[in-house]
Amino acid sequence: MNSINRFIARIFRGVFPGALAMAFALGSATLPAGAASATYLYQNQQIVFSHLASSNGVTMIGIQDPGLRGLLKTLGAIVTWRPGRRYVLITTAEPEVISFAVGDRNYDVGPVTSQASVAPFARADDVYLPLDALLRALYLAPKPDGSRTVLQPQLGSIDVRAAGTRAKLVAHAGAPLAARVVSESANRIVYEFDGVGSTLERHRTIDAGGIRSLEVTTSGSIAAPKTLVTISLASGATHGRVHNSGGNDFEVAFTGASSGAYPNAVARAPASATPMPAPSLTPGASTVSGVQPSAPPAVAGPAQVGAVTVAQTSNGSTVAVAISGNATYQWHRLRAPDNRFWIDIQNAQLTVPPSVQAEVNPLLSLRVRQNDPTTVRIALSLVGQNVLAVSPSATGLSITVDNQQVADAAHEGSGSIGAVLSVSEAAPAVTPVPPEDYGQGSPSWKFGPQSTYVPTNPKLIVIDPGHGGSDPGSERNGTKEATLTLDMAKRLRDILIARGWQVKMTRTTDVDVYQPNDSARDELQARDNIANDAGARLLVSIHVNAFINSGPHGTTTYYSKPEDVPLAQYVERDVATDAGTKDDGTVKSHLYVTLHADMPAVLIETAFLSNPDDYALLVSPAWRQKVAQAIADGIDQYTQQYPVQSTGGQ
Amino acid sequence: MRRIALLVVVLALVAAGSWWFFAHRAQGNGTESLTVYYTKMDGTSMGSWNVSMRPQQPGESSAEHLKNMALYAAVQSAAGPPSDVEAIRFPPGTHINTVSVNGSTATVDLSHEVTQQVGGTFGENGEFKGLVYTLTGVPGINAVQVTVDGQKLETLPGGHVELDQPLHRSDF
Repeated sequence: MNSINRFIARIFRGVFPGALAMAFALGSATLPAGAASATYLYQNQQIVFSHLASSNGVTMIGIQDPGLRGLLKTLGAIVTWRPGRRYVLITTAEPEVISFAVGDRNYDVGPVTSQASVAPFARADDVYLPLDALLRALYLAPKPDGSRTVLQPQLGSIDVRAAGTRAKLVAHAGAPLAARVVSESANRIVYEFDGVGSTLERHRTIDAGGIRSLEVTTSGSIAAPKTLVTISLASGATHGRVHNSGGNDFEVAFTGASSGAYPNAVARAPASATPMPAPSLTPGASTVSGVQPSAPPAVAGPAQVGAVTVAQTSNGSTVAVAISGNATYQWHRLRAPDNRFWIDIQNAQLTVPPSVQAEVNPLLSLRVRQNDPTTVRIALSLVGQNVLAVSPSATGLSITVDNQQVADAAHEGSGSIGAVLSVSEAAPAVTPVPPEDYGQGSPSWKFGPQSTYVPTNPKLIVIDPGHGGSDPGSERNGTKEATLTLDMAKRLRDILIARGWQVKMTRTTDVDVYQPNDSARDELQARDNIANDAGARLLVSIHVNAFINSGPHGTTTYYSKPEDVPLAQYVERDVATDAGTKDDGTVKSHLYVTLHADMPAVLIETAFLSNPDDYALLVSPAWRQKVAQAIADGIDQYTQQYPVQSTGGQ
Repeated sequence: MRRIALLVVVLALVAAGSWWFFAHRAQGNGTESLTVYYTKMDGTSMGSWNVSMRPQQPGESSAEHLKNMALYAAVQSAAGPPSDVEAIRFPPGTHINTVSVNGSTATVDLSHEVTQQVGGTFGENGEFKGLVYTLTGVPGINAVQVTVDGQKLETLPGGHVELDQPLHRSDF
């Protein structure tokens, strides 16, 4: 980031505090002296603060104030504090950590330290914070509106991060930001943000990355503000399309035609600057190079997920999810005694604030949030393994939870809403950020003493198909990791036997190796025991990777011990090369199965089930055969390079 | 005359020494920083950002200050970098319940949301690597014991990373 020429229009702290102080004074002026409570409006919800105090004329609020807790919950913020503790830490939905400490006027919002007019103090099992500083940190401004005071979400910052001919505009606010383009021409584009006000600097000259300048103006009312951001474009500049993530951030990319378009740009963007990582591309977005991609497939935009409501029925509860547009969904439930259920609506944007609310039987709680840029997650805590049905409805999706419980409830399902989209069409691509120097935190893992392990059966290789039985591993569209790993393991077994090796499998069917629903230690140690007790030459554990979004892909081989390293390198190289996956390298980790194997052991994550391209490979028997062949090749090369008799013990 | 000159020199040295002492003490009180690490989307390399570390407050014992710094580091790590930074992050909703420090080991109690992994080693490894690197960046802490809702786990459910022993930077 240091090498990126970064122009920051963060005037928030310069202009906003004064305006806020004035507005706050007006707001509190409506309170009688010594008032025990104050009422505000936030997005048409009444917020009553009742744990109020005064310190040197400054209004203080207790962190245990129910109204404040409700407001923070609405904002998606999490409070870390316990009575008697000096620190109050608030993690916002951004995420950004706000830090106050008793007796210290300094408070932190992310990496920025500011100073409040008075220090927090402790009283009667509560910590009182300066209310004006807290609201400022939450990007909320108290604004008098007739007889009431509105907590108006503020456009907290607009950063323009420029590198060479590219720029990325990032806006952040105290409420979910939804932008739309209200005016567009060759040299100007105007974005409108509904529901947020602004006291940011009105005009800023940028002259980089396709942006000449930006103007910030406000309109609307106190209760329904609007902020307009007008971008003056350089000649030939292009811009990405609006992508609203549903979070409190908004970003859009710009590209200048050439550096010559800006008299000042060359001086501000040194030639040695590291190119800015390309932003994620979504269907229809222009590339940062300014070249318009070929027309995307006829895919509708993201579905809009609105209100999520719960209705009681005679048999239980029905959760209605308002959805407009096309999307796919997948749902999962955990096994008893963990009675959680969640449904991921893909290619979808949440248009209401994230929420967490308590419910009545058979629900315990309901949580709604934008899980990643393209997925809305609705999570339910149930009282037990209730009968549950998920089905599309006229207005979106209906989740019916019955009071009746069953022992063999289904644990997964999927479907679509509107026109069916394939996952590959809906999924955004992710460009990995290039590695940077580690700096002071450089990993300094040490090679321990070389292994003195002597295999009693140097011709035996143990293959461990990951997961199985009560633990299916990761899943997608009904395809289980445990099934894929077993298939690849069997193929590897056949190849190795044909090459003269003896092979033992930790499992040959879809079973737990120790026993169903066993502990992780028992299950993983049982796999290690098979290899350790047999005095095997090597242990190879085969897995399939997964992540919460579809970006990561490729093959990674994990290891834990120094003597694992060469085997990991051979296997990784051969699989990535021969099976055609992205080579994500070898990675050291504290993995149980490799740590507790006496012999050299690796865990190979062959590909990502969560990535559309990798998924297409994983479900191909021909590709799985290639992987087995490549692992066998890696083993052969390793054993030739490191024969037992020449490694002093291996 | 020579005595006066010597006295002047001594006074000048004392004044310079006093200025240096107070200037640097004041700087130390306000500019300590903590590096918060996260694992990048390549699954292994790390990015970081800095936040300021609050100096020890009057009435705050050294042990309490260390615990507070560890708590601050853990909360920062669980929050992760700003949302426009691509990073391996803990599952949504994961937060820090408590942090305690025993010797040079910080015990970080995570909320149960951390168990909502989607499978695979990629996320787990990246999440705990960032947490361990951040906590062990606090002077005085060199290992991290992870618990979940107060319970020590062998691994996360269906997981891969061994959690029933303290984690060190050298484990990653």
